[in-house]
Amino acid sequence: MTLQQDLVRHLSEVSVSVELETPEMTLNIGPQHPSTHGVLRLVARVDGERAFDVRPVIGYMHRGYEKLAEVRNYPQITTIANRIDWVAGYANEIPFITAAEKLMELEVPPRALWIRLILTEMARMASHLIFMASYPLELGAQTPLFFALRERERVLDLLEGVTGGRFHPNFNRIGGVKPAYGSGSTTRKWVQDLPKTFYEETRTAMDEVLHVCDQLENLVADNEILVARTRNIGVLPPEVAAAYGVTGPNLRASGVPFDLRKVENYLPYDQFDFNVITAPNGDCWDRWWVRLQEIRESAKIVQQAIDSIPSGPIQAKVPKVIKVPRGETYVRAENPKGEMGYYLVSDGGQGPYRLKIRSASFSNISILPWILEGTLIPDIIAIMGSLDFVLGDVDR
Amino acid sequence: MTSNPPEVEAPEQGEESEEVRHPLADYADHVAETVGGEAVITFDTIKVSVPAERWVEALTAARDELDLVLFSFLSAIDWSNETAVGDPLEEPLEEEYFEVICTVSDLTEGRRVTFSTRLDHTEPVIDSLIDVYAGANWHEREAHEMFGIRFAGHPDLSNLYLPNGFLGNPLRKTFPLLSREVKPWPGKVDVEAMPEEEEAEGAGGDEEPASESEDGEEA
Repeated sequence: MTLQQDLVRHLSEVSVSVELETPEMTLNIGPQHPSTHGVLRLVARVDGERAFDVRPVIGYMHRGYEKLAEVRNYPQITTIANRIDWVAGYANEIPFITAAEKLMELEVPPRALWIRLILTEMARMASHLIFMASYPLELGAQTPLFFALRERERVLDLLEGVTGGRFHPNFNRIGGVKPAYGSGSTTRKWVQDLPKTFYEETRTAMDEVLHVCDQLENLVADNEILVARTRNIGVLPPEVAAAYGVTGPNLRASGVPFDLRKVENYLPYDQFDFNVITAPNGDCWDRWWVRLQEIRESAKIVQQAIDSIPSGPIQAKVPKVIKVPRGETYVRAENPKGEMGYYLVSDGGQGPYRLKIRSASFSNISILPWILEGTLIPDIIAIMGSLDFVLGDVDR
Repeated sequence: MTSNPPEVEAPEQGEESEEVRHPLADYADHVAETVGGEAVITFDTIKVSVPAERWVEALTAARDELDLVLFSFLSAIDWSNETAVGDPLEEPLEEEYFEVICTVSDLTEGRRVTFSTRLDHTEPVIDSLIDVYAGANWHEREAHEMFGIRFAGHPDLSNLYLPNGFLGNPLRKTFPLLSREVKPWPGKVDVEAMPEEEEAEGAGGDEEPASESEDGEEA
């Protein structure tokens, strides 16, 4: 190295350190910041516009469900399950009920499985539509919110028509689903079926949902600002995602065609024709795009299920007092947010001995320190929003 | 596991004549051989128990040789004779212990294996899995605060959910549930049977008269 080169390098280093020196500060985001979807707090070391050592602080919503499950009986636990990921409350019941049924070695009637499948897909649509509404909003685009929420309301109305609850259906029973209460009837008669208008309304609603997907795509995909803020932002490589346990649309947006609906047998998804949506880049844009396509796939599944729903009973014969035989099992399901599973340990009693709740959002946001390292502060909002988590699902 | 009789022991070679082999049995044997543990299949879940000192080694083998790259969860079970709330074990254990469980899965065929190991009940310590699966970080912090299990080599075992200075480990069986101490559980009261139910009485395989919950009705 010549003396001149040495001098040039020295001078450039001096100028760089003079220009960019900013005092470091600690930035506290949350726990009441609107972009955090609830009570999540981030503590970041900020150097200029870049954030380092981001530390998520969670637990503001911890309700101790794993302990509470130990002092409840099996039918009571579905009410807890609803409140884990409340945006898709219905979907949380499925793996728990399936785990209990597995230990009891119960054969669930096909019609009940079909109803579960239809409602799970509706919960997925509702959850993804909320994302379609809130994500552009966080990036400054308000219009998609109105389109997405309108259709979400339609889907929730259907869900409410069947279960009686928009967010907390508490609809699954061990061995089947809850018999619908005769609507409009003055006699206390239990009707074992879906509401009369359900099929027709669902067909209309699915057409509308597919239509709104087109509208959302036009609104967002052509929006230059939104694309600029999400393309190549928050890139998540598949190996890192897997090691952190990131699942669901977030994993599929990193190019991994892994969908538990295809590989596990908790519901008869093998009877339906649908695609596993993946995207190659793993950035915020891909995570948005995968969810949009998944709404379309869910609508397709529901349309097929409405046409193919078998008739018959909706409840297997179970004893009046449910006792689950001794044993343990892990059942996981593809929830809107990712892998949701219950590790159920029974000692033969009326309630579980231990119930480990594996929630998707908890693992999905454990990636935050990794993915936010060195990002610009405005990108924190874009990245966090694209991971689509719910704090109830994080804190349980 | 002595505590779980319904578990089907993965049949050993040569004695499969009478029992129907579980479809997962071959894979379970393969996993057990690769990581050096014992496999049981419990209700479609492959559970491989390994000694605690070989925990990290076994999970490393699972990741590298069996391609189980997706970290699902890590948690623990308190096998204890003493319970503050909830039903105690039907048969008391000879020796109380903690069981650490960790489920990992592959990303192609959806094969999943739950690894399990036993820890001493008085001073539970185990090596941290952070270097194998980065996602173990938060799960181990949770197991640490909830069960009091120490994960050697974990960089920061501060509380994840609980406030700082919280006393006790809530998911231990000996930890009381304060709300139950203050007021008895209203869910335990008996409810009357629905009118139709009395007609249908005797139709199903009833074990006990209706009580407890609204979910007792027969469909």
